[in-house]
Amino acid sequence: MSKQPARRNLTLTIDGRQVTVPEGTLVVEAARQAGFNIPVYCYHPKMDPAGLCRICLVEIEKIPKLQIACNTQVADGMVVHTMSPRVAEGRRGVLEFLLLNHPLDCPICDKGGECDLQDFTMSYGPGASRLTEPKLHKPKAVDLGPTIVLDEERCILCRRCTRFDDEIAQERNLVVNERGHHSLIATADGSDYRSYFSGNTTEICPVGALTSKAYRFRSRPWDLSHADSVCTQCSVGCNYRIDSRFGRIMRTFTRENTAVDDGWICDRGRYTFNYLYEPSRLRQPLIKRDGEHQPATFDEAIAIAAERLRTAARKGSVGIIGGGRLSDEEAFALQQFAREVLGTDNIDHRVGLQKYASPSRHEARLEDIDDASLIVIFGAITPEQAPILDLRLRRAVARRHAKLLFVGPYKPDLPVPCRHVEYTPGAIAELMEQLADVVHHGREERGEGFVAEIAQELADAERIIAVHNGRDPGAIEALEKLMDRLHDYDHPVGILVVGATGNARGAEAAGCVPNLGPGYAELGRSGMTAAEMFAAAADGKLDALYIAGANPALTFPDGELVRRALQRVPFLAVADQVLTETAAYADVVLAAASFAEKSGHVTNLEGRQQAFAQAIEPPVHVGSDLRILAAFAQTLGKEWAIPDDADALFAQLRHVQRAARPRSPKDPLPRPRVDETSLSSADQVDATHQRFTIIPVPRLYAGGGASAHDPGIAAMRPAPFATFHPDDAARIGVVHGDMVRLQGRGGSIDVEVHVGPQAPTGVALVLADMPQAPVNRLLDASGFGSATAIKVRSVAAAPPETIEVTA
Amino acid sequence: MTPERERRASELVARYPESQSALIPFLQFCQAHDGYVTQQAIHDAAEIAGITPGEAESIASFYTLLFKEPVGKHKIQVCRTLSCMLRGADELQQHVRQRLGLGNGESSPDGRFYYEEVECLAACDRAPCLQHNLEFHYDVTPEDFDRLLDEWRASDPGVSMPAE
Amino acid sequence: MARFEPVLLRGIGQLDLTDIENYKQLGGFAALEKALREMTPEAVQGEVSASNLRGRGGAGFPTGKKWSFLPKDGRPRYLVCNCDEAEPGTFKDHLLLEQAPFQIIEGLLISAYAINAAQIFMYIRGEFLEGFRIFKRALDAARLQGYLGKRILGTDFSMDIVVHRGAGAYICGEETAMLESIEGKRGEPRLKPPFPANAGLYGMPTVVNNVETVSCVPHIIERGAQWFASIGPEKCPGPKIISVSGHVVRPGNYEVPMGIPARELIEEYAGGLFPGRRLKAIQPGGGSSAAIFEEDLDTGIDFDSLAAKRTMLGSGGFVVMDDTTCMVRASQTLTRFFEHESCGQCTPCREGGQWVARMVSRLEAGEGNESDLRVLSTINDTITGTNLCPLGDSIMPFLSSVLRRFPEEFADHVREAGCPFRVGVAASMAS
Ligand SMILES: Cc1cc2nc3c(=O)[nH]c(=O)nc-3n(C[C@H](O)[C@H](O)[C@H](O)COP(=O)(O)O)c2cc1C
Ligand code: SF4
Ligand code: FES
Repeated sequence: MSKQPARRNLTLTIDGRQVTVPEGTLVVEAARQAGFNIPVYCYHPKMDPAGLCRICLVEIEKIPKLQIACNTQVADGMVVHTMSPRVAEGRRGVLEFLLLNHPLDCPICDKGGECDLQDFTMSYGPGASRLTEPKLHKPKAVDLGPTIVLDEERCILCRRCTRFDDEIAQERNLVVNERGHHSLIATADGSDYRSYFSGNTTEICPVGALTSKAYRFRSRPWDLSHADSVCTQCSVGCNYRIDSRFGRIMRTFTRENTAVDDGWICDRGRYTFNYLYEPSRLRQPLIKRDGEHQPATFDEAIAIAAERLRTAARKGSVGIIGGGRLSDEEAFALQQFAREVLGTDNIDHRVGLQKYASPSRHEARLEDIDDASLIVIFGAITPEQAPILDLRLRRAVARRHAKLLFVGPYKPDLPVPCRHVEYTPGAIAELMEQLADVVHHGREERGEGFVAEIAQELADAERIIAVHNGRDPGAIEALEKLMDRLHDYDHPVGILVVGATGNARGAEAAGCVPNLGPGYAELGRSGMTAAEMFAAAADGKLDALYIAGANPALTFPDGELVRRALQRVPFLAVADQVLTETAAYADVVLAAASFAEKSGHVTNLEGRQQAFAQAIEPPVHVGSDLRILAAFAQTLGKEWAIPDDADALFAQLRHVQRAARPRSPKDPLPRPRVDETSLSSADQVDATHQRFTIIPVPRLYAGGGASAHDPGIAAMRPAPFATFHPDDAARIGVVHGDMVRLQGRGGSIDVEVHVGPQAPTGVALVLADMPQAPVNRLLDASGFGSATAIKVRSVAAAPPETIEVTA
Repeated sequence: MTPERERRASELVARYPESQSALIPFLQFCQAHDGYVTQQAIHDAAEIAGITPGEAESIASFYTLLFKEPVGKHKIQVCRTLSCMLRGADELQQHVRQRLGLGNGESSPDGRFYYEEVECLAACDRAPCLQHNLEFHYDVTPEDFDRLLDEWRASDPGVSMPAE
Repeated sequence: MARFEPVLLRGIGQLDLTDIENYKQLGGFAALEKALREMTPEAVQGEVSASNLRGRGGAGFPTGKKWSFLPKDGRPRYLVCNCDEAEPGTFKDHLLLEQAPFQIIEGLLISAYAINAAQIFMYIRGEFLEGFRIFKRALDAARLQGYLGKRILGTDFSMDIVVHRGAGAYICGEETAMLESIEGKRGEPRLKPPFPANAGLYGMPTVVNNVETVSCVPHIIERGAQWFASIGPEKCPGPKIISVSGHVVRPGNYEVPMGIPARELIEEYAGGLFPGRRLKAIQPGGGSSAAIFEEDLDTGIDFDSLAAKRTMLGSGGFVVMDDTTCMVRASQTLTRFFEHESCGQCTPCREGGQWVARMVSRLEAGEGNESDLRVLSTINDTITGTNLCPLGDSIMPFLSSVLRRFPEEFADHVREAGCPFRVGVAASMAS
């Protein structure tokens, strides 16, 4: 870790109180430490001081003019007054100016009750306005984009929002237009404010200028109850607060945990909760009778499912899938259910391409990104799969001069400079080995060329962080060996693995894999992996499947296989919050609680176990996965295996997990077993380009889980698309916006054509995880697929009319 | 981008240590041909500067000599600040408005004239003064203006806000 | 009284000094030769420091001292010349640009040599299109004759000047806003610290100097610091161009020794007031300065004497107003100016400035009220001194000074629901 030179401590006096702080501290922060809150509008601790609003004026002895506390650094012996008459006068002046043309529509403003303009005016403002002419007017209720509404009259031009978009998101789409008092917050003419982080601006806007569409006019802040929760939409695990009123969620709010989220959350995390109130939410269990799902009671559903699972278990012919969308306690309960109640090791949480959810060694923390000098992203599409982690990357690159190397099949859209190394399965492992070799042999023998260049960058880096997606076991091993080498040569290195699901790491650590028990305990035996269970079921060799909080019909790479398996297996039970594609096949569907409706722990991608509290009650016939599993255990006479008590389970889990941290290179964590089909090989790439290689690409708002049913998120979901290289598009005669049918091994999907240079030639980048166009129809179990492009005539026609086959 | 604009852009980018410095000169160059800063120019400029179109627009909107929408070809800008006011700017403004039939910031419907009252033009010793397409005219009396207007009416300034 | 022998304006009006041969005939480029061939950069800097030259852009900061702040850390340094002149009542740089471009070029080259600059940027106000063309031609001529470019005059010194045109914003005259503007951004002043000497243009150490300031440099080198320092007051010596406008018989740029009394400037140089008129107020240092009055006519025109009168020399824009002038109307043009030119970053300047301008406009239109008068007389304390840059601090000085001096005139506008001077203004226009 790069060392900052030790900073001197300085002592100053603020309002008569002595306070000692490190050199370089701003007066506003020093005052906070001394227990005085200096009012601020433009200042935000996560952003550079801007000195715009001037509300933070303080008096400093020996300096004639009032100074701004937000850009004045402390000095030894400095004497600061934050409440003197001059300061009061200065603040009153600034507030009077800010209120001059303010519409004072507080009764209908969402910020009412938590607005800094209201609060500071109350504490420091003038009693009455001296404005005697009509107020100046500006646009109100400006639709800024899919998530945000802007009231320019309420805006005090503190620029926190534009600075957030610039300094934090690095996207720079939200700007100030015009100048002087005509200044307006705006986007480029005719364009929307589209950002995965837009919701944060509504939080940091000190007034009611930026409000979120999801929360507008819905509640008053003093009517809300709060629950400290953790977002589980991805594996970063941002801390947030769920605000509810009369048992209904109204909004979510950041709950800063600097080490994890730095005080931000992404829009998917922030806005995914209204699906709970949609008709598609499962409010009670379903039982399939004569091919139709019929409502049932909780007890009925449990009784039927328990019986069928027991029968299959007796024959040793049962499989359990899931865990990555459950809490740690529930994942633990799920493997207890498999191993202790049903007596099988056929359990796996891996229903996508991810094989490993943790590094076996060199574990890094999210905060390590901040000090990294070189960041190697290995296949993970961080802006889409871990947006808040991506913010850290952006900051490290844009503001701390870290270098970014992206190793992947295509280059994702990143707002910061990034060097792309093309990833060809197989070849990449070789490259890593070469690099390890070169690093080992030292500077002199590095030679020239591409490998040498990268090796040089590695050798020059003070601290290296690798972020991978846990997918390609061969390549990951090679990467880890390279890290071993660098580590040997005293380079601090660290690895982060972006989870495929919100609690992938928790599920892995709780033992939801066929060969490892809780705490990565090696069992010395193994059940079937998910892929093997699907293969067996499709072959008629598995009698029952229980799937908890997973949607393999959409996420499992070989869609054709999984659909066959789900159809063929004699008994299928699924627990979920909505009727997913997978649940649609089930004989028994259990209605499961959401994270807001239960409490427990989740483990984020860096292995941090975080507690979340229950915010609201679930509907009557809805049970948490824990309650469902405990009910099964009880029905099957093994209640000792799964107590219906999260605290008790957590205590057990903690006990077995003690030793579960990744260890040294000599003693790495054991790996979950990987089946044959998952190993990718280089020769699968079709060099003739007669067909298109399919690479599924993730998007934040895609996915087949609960978020797909959220009206807010649904509005932002992209339409299914395939991106072709311009040369390919020209060759097959399609243009941006055309519809094409992609025909693959397990069926076809219709997608819109995008054209862009990010697609390598011969490749179609196809949006993943979209129920209306499941890319897994085109893929095999290794995630590899190819397709012919079939051009269609009309964009609007559905189903598309086939006229011409080109490839 | 036209080849001419591309050439200009690369010339400008080469002139400065950082390419964003080329932004304003490039917009001025485009405006000299298009009459105002078009959305196309904003997008081209953003690309040259390596910034977002939103940023380019924000920057352009800061400067009063960059026009965000089409304005009359003859741009008449009369000074209104103190020194000119002391020596007859009010009368001149009144006269010009009336002759052109335009208020401050307005363009004639035929797109030929644009009138604006502007801040001190640094020609206070020869007040009142005005600029016509950035060309100075000093000590302008109403009669002088009438003469000038006749000349302008008879001419067509291909380039209304010259860049160089 | 003998007229001061002009230094900066020498030859202007007699010779076409946009012709390089004429400039050379007057001794042009001799100082550059001397500096490059006979002096080290340190020696040039020493000479400028010894001359006590203070910046002519408005703040009057000692030029030698400003140069000495540059850190010696090997980073490239930039010299930026401020030709954005837009301060109301100021028009000297405009003249120097159009009529003495080689003097600017020579001054810039010597200054760049002194501070070891990597590059010179000349920022020319967007409205000065003609001046821009003249300057570009001058650069070409200088380059042809070896005064610019690689190995100037056969020495090891190479230098080039990049000309950057403004696009309409007074605030870009403020030095950090100018740097932003050259960088292709909104011309918004930067929060300080850091100062340009440490982190200026493109983050590099940078000096910004005014056109008139750099125009002084060749003369200091040629004739010596002693000569320069002996003109006018010890602490702010030298020749100074004062732009005289308003109600005088001969408005114009006059080069005078620093410190001459205001009375002499008006009477000896500018031809005095119009017959039968009385002096009412003078704005001695551009639109940002507080007014002085009849009783101040013996005040010396220099940085320190005017500061003692709670106003400033500023940019040297000297605006004379006689008794036909309505002080509310005068204030209106200036408050409207600052409202129009505020960048809008900070609250007091953006909101306060807009409010003041509206109040003054209403008073002038006869729609003002008592409350406006009360607000105007107290608002100075909350607008002035609380801003991010000096523009906000420039809104109130003139208004406050004339309101203090002529309170009844403001009150009359309320009482009579209109401007009592409307006739007077017309009369002044007729003259
Ligand atoms: C609002 C504002 C406008 C200014 N305009 C100008 C200007 O037009 N020309 C100028 O030389 N200095 C101007 N200045 C002063 C500059 O910031 C800077 O002090 C000056 O260019 C330094 O040069 P000097 O040291 O040679 O005087 C302005 C300052 C402010 C605050
Ligand atoms: S919208 Fe809010 S955050 Fe943005 S500038 Fe206005 S007040 Fe500040
Ligand atoms: S908080 Fe200090 S100026 Fe805004």
